[in-house]
Amino acid sequence: MAAVLSRELAMTALLLAGVTFVAFLILFLAPGDPFAALLGGRTLAGAERDAAYAALGIPRTWYGQYFAWIGNVVQGEFGISLRTGQPVARELATSGVRTLFLTLGSLAVTLAVAVPIGAYAAVRPASGRAWALTMSAYVVSALPTFWLGYIAIYVFTRQLGLFPILSGTGEAQEHAWLYAALPVVLLGLGSGALSEVVRYVREEVSRVLAEEYVRTARAKGASLWRHVYKEGLLLPIAEIVASKMPFVLSGAIIVEQVFNWPGLGRLAWQAAQDRDYPVIMAITLAAAVVVRLGSFLHRTVYVAVNPRASHE
Amino acid sequence: MPNVYVQTVDEVSEYSQLSAWRSAGRIDRLYVGYGATVAGIVVLSYLLGALKWLPHDPDAMDLGAMMAGPLTGSYLLGTDFLGRDLLTRLILGIQAYFLPGLAAISIALALGSLLGVAAGYRGGRTDAAVTYFTNLIDALPRLVLMLLVIAAFKPQIYTIMVVLGITTAPTIATMVKGKILMLKQRNFIESAVALGLSPPTIIFKHILWHNCRALLLIQATIGMAEAVLIETSLSYLGFGVQEPTPSWGNMIQAGANYLLQGNLWSSTAPALAILLTVLGFHLLGDGLNNIFEGKRQR
Repeated sequence: MAAVLSRELAMTALLLAGVTFVAFLILFLAPGDPFAALLGGRTLAGAERDAAYAALGIPRTWYGQYFAWIGNVVQGEFGISLRTGQPVARELATSGVRTLFLTLGSLAVTLAVAVPIGAYAAVRPASGRAWALTMSAYVVSALPTFWLGYIAIYVFTRQLGLFPILSGTGEAQEHAWLYAALPVVLLGLGSGALSEVVRYVREEVSRVLAEEYVRTARAKGASLWRHVYKEGLLLPIAEIVASKMPFVLSGAIIVEQVFNWPGLGRLAWQAAQDRDYPVIMAITLAAAVVVRLGSFLHRTVYVAVNPRASHE
Repeated sequence: MPNVYVQTVDEVSEYSQLSAWRSAGRIDRLYVGYGATVAGIVVLSYLLGALKWLPHDPDAMDLGAMMAGPLTGSYLLGTDFLGRDLLTRLILGIQAYFLPGLAAISIALALGSLLGVAAGYRGGRTDAAVTYFTNLIDALPRLVLMLLVIAAFKPQIYTIMVVLGITTAPTIATMVKGKILMLKQRNFIESAVALGLSPPTIIFKHILWHNCRALLLIQATIGMAEAVLIETSLSYLGFGVQEPTPSWGNMIQAGANYLLQGNLWSSTAPALAILLTVLGFHLLGDGLNNIFEGKRQR
């Protein structure tokens, strides 16, 4: 098991290096001097530029800049935001926690809704109710999340009058928990992950139910659940959490915009608007780390459920 | 061995695809029928928009009929907050994603097939490199990568669609590779080589055309649904098509303030357009998948 996981860890390191390298390359290829903001908005050239860079301690070549960035990141130093002048690490930490809450909560919502539907559809493939449930999951997934968000805000503020204003900060207000729950539920239902999870669970469960060992267990009259839950439930859930993490993070960018939720998504949106390179680099790395954590978790569950896999 | 009937690759795939359609389930035919209708309406509306055969001037404001409901006067679907005809703007909104979406799909199919064939046909180190590329793409949320590209370059729909195409390619590559491995297991490729066929013939004719075309068509339809969602999302975020040029995304965004005051329709009409279109392309892909790739067991 340790061997498999350490190989996975090495792969993660290799991928994170690749992701940051590609991100750096894209920013490097962009027109204009990425450090123009530090040079007072001027784009310099030749010896003048070299001198200005040397004064700021910026390496001259782009790969030098990349390795300098990596070196700083390893020490927990992400640079200074060009927009706010604040250390990026601090902004990343505060908004990262909020986004993590949003994404993990919404994944739980997706699973809580989609797994029963998918399992039901697998057990009763011909029933009209299973079709109706699956279809409603499809419909909700095809609706644009942002429209769904505005409708939810409209219903809860205007129709039900549950909270007066939408501040988005953690200020004490009435029904604050509901205000926090709303985006979580919305992202869970509307990010497009719902229909895919329903489909995945349906296929996995019907595949497992058709396995020979299940037939044997049934014939013996043994408890089906005890034989099926590992392969038919635990593994698919770990797989979903791992594979849907990027989708949910993408969806979070939209939902945070609708609800004015001050997380990584808002930060990324703002950084894209302002061409705030240190911030967007840090967010890219953070997103990749979260995605790889999900896949690491999946691998761990896979090896734990499948002892054979540790000898692969 | 008496009476061994050797089927060629062509015969197997032709046979299975024809009979698959005949024996398709009612629901799958319904899905495909609905999806094909949606696709037809989208193409037709795209042409109407391109030819400027529209019911109204998209920018003409009727200040006497702002935020009118459906079937008000000559406005079949009503008007928006400036009194502009919604139906006209919905039709024109297709311009925002149709050609860019096709570009994204073409990139995804071409790059995906290339990588899939490279990984499956050559194997070894090429396969490892393709796997690394796949993992690299999977490690980054698509919208984060798009925001990064937007930060670097100007927000431009074709740049975004290139990113969409490149990030979709690994999914297709994995499927093409799976097909090739399946064909290898059944010794089809070995036989083709033994028959003296050249690699281009094997790859383009026997692998991609005869065995992957259903899969590629299915991925193309799903790709269009993705393109709609991505274009509308980015236009909503303000990085896509800008007012006054209509996109379903910026129409929802522009109507959102009025929605919160209780005028639901001008935001809801484009949302319904997105729903019907995305659902259509998804169901088309799903139905074709069940019919040709035989996922449904019944």
